Amino acid sequence: MSNKSCQMCDIAKTQVVRENQVLRQVLGICSSLAVTNSLNNSLVMGLGLSFVTALSSFTLSAMRDIIPHRVRMLVQTLVIAVYVIFVDLFLQAYLPEISKQLGPYVGLIITNCIIMGRAEAFAQKNPPVPALFDGLFAGLGYTAVLLFVSLIREVLGFGTIFGMNVNFLGFTTWTIMIMPPAAFFIIGSMIWFLNARGLKKSAPKAK
Amino acid sequence: MKKGHLYTLGFMVVLTAALIFILAAAYEGFKPSIASNAQLRNERAVLYVFDLEKDLTDQQVRDTFGQVIEETAIQGVEGYAYKQDGAVQGYALPFEGAALWGSISGYLGVNADMTETTGLVFTKQSETPGLGGRIDELVYREQFRGLPIVKGQPLAYGSHDGYTIDAITGATQTSTAVLKTLNTMMDAVIFQEGVQ
Repeated sequence: MSNKSCQMCDIAKTQVVRENQVLRQVLGICSSLAVTNSLNNSLVMGLGLSFVTALSSFTLSAMRDIIPHRVRMLVQTLVIAVYVIFVDLFLQAYLPEISKQLGPYVGLIITNCIIMGRAEAFAQKNPPVPALFDGLFAGLGYTAVLLFVSLIREVLGFGTIFGMNVNFLGFTTWTIMIMPPAAFFIIGSMIWFLNARGLKKSAPKAK
Repeated sequence: MKKGHLYTLGFMVVLTAALIFILAAAYEGFKPSIASNAQLRNERAVLYVFDLEKDLTDQQVRDTFGQVIEETAIQGVEGYAYKQDGAVQGYALPFEGAALWGSISGYLGVNADMTETTGLVFTKQSETPGLGGRIDELVYREQFRGLPIVKGQPLAYGSHDGYTIDAITGATQTSTAVLKTLNTMMDAVIFQEGVQ
């Protein structure tokens, strides 16, 4: 990250790794617990969220000078809602099976704190293109965590990867992995791991 | 910068109108596709209750449905009849009822003389995913093939003379609601028709 032209790399690294929305900011947990029992659902949910976060950040940033400050949250919600409904319609039209499985969670992207978080924290003060990438990478960071969690859950819970059978040893699948509590433990462990590592790294400096 | 009330009001009105216009346009664009998906889902559901749906592609579902299924009314209820060579093989009777979180609706398939069920399918349910939502899983629904329909003996969970149905563990209210809905529908439709 030596040169200034790599603002994108910096945003990407921050959003996906350093300040991962799920693991570091602990945002978007509701859907992370709910949809991660299959990789397909996680992927579609993650891409849907990335799309919404990126475009809503872009739109809100483009309008940032004309939005009256005191109603900015209203405007954010309105813009986010439009993109979410668009994703919902798109899924209903072209991916009906996944739309049925994700059910209410697509509509609930609206309430995903990541989107409004990025709108408030970044899009409000930055130009449209960086805002677009900030939103996109925040969404991709979320997607990466979802995919990792659902890889564990789908393999252990169904014995499959993207619906393909990988249960060659014939082990008994764990019902708990299909249910939301499994994601709770997995995400909890990931946060614990990251925090513990972060503490170790920062400990010598603190002295 | 400070902006007045009028500006704020005007801004919200213009923005809302513009966004609604965009959404309405998008909806119109997607509508044919969404409607055709909904129709396909319904056709697949009807074929399922007659056990005709196994591994059919979308096109096969449309073809089969067109060939063997006809709309019909039983006791004033709009359902479907399954016909082969002009003879009725069975009926798909729609039901709707209240479950734990919302209404459930679907079709119960019965044979031509309405003495046995042929299958159960849900077209709408909003029960808890992983608990009550499991009424939509095959393990549960496949139990509803070949159950006896006898007046005065509503379907019930457990082992009975000639059939067994298992409820879903942890989803008692949903399970109970399903049977209640089915029994109510059978009382209103099948037993009115004068079967047994």
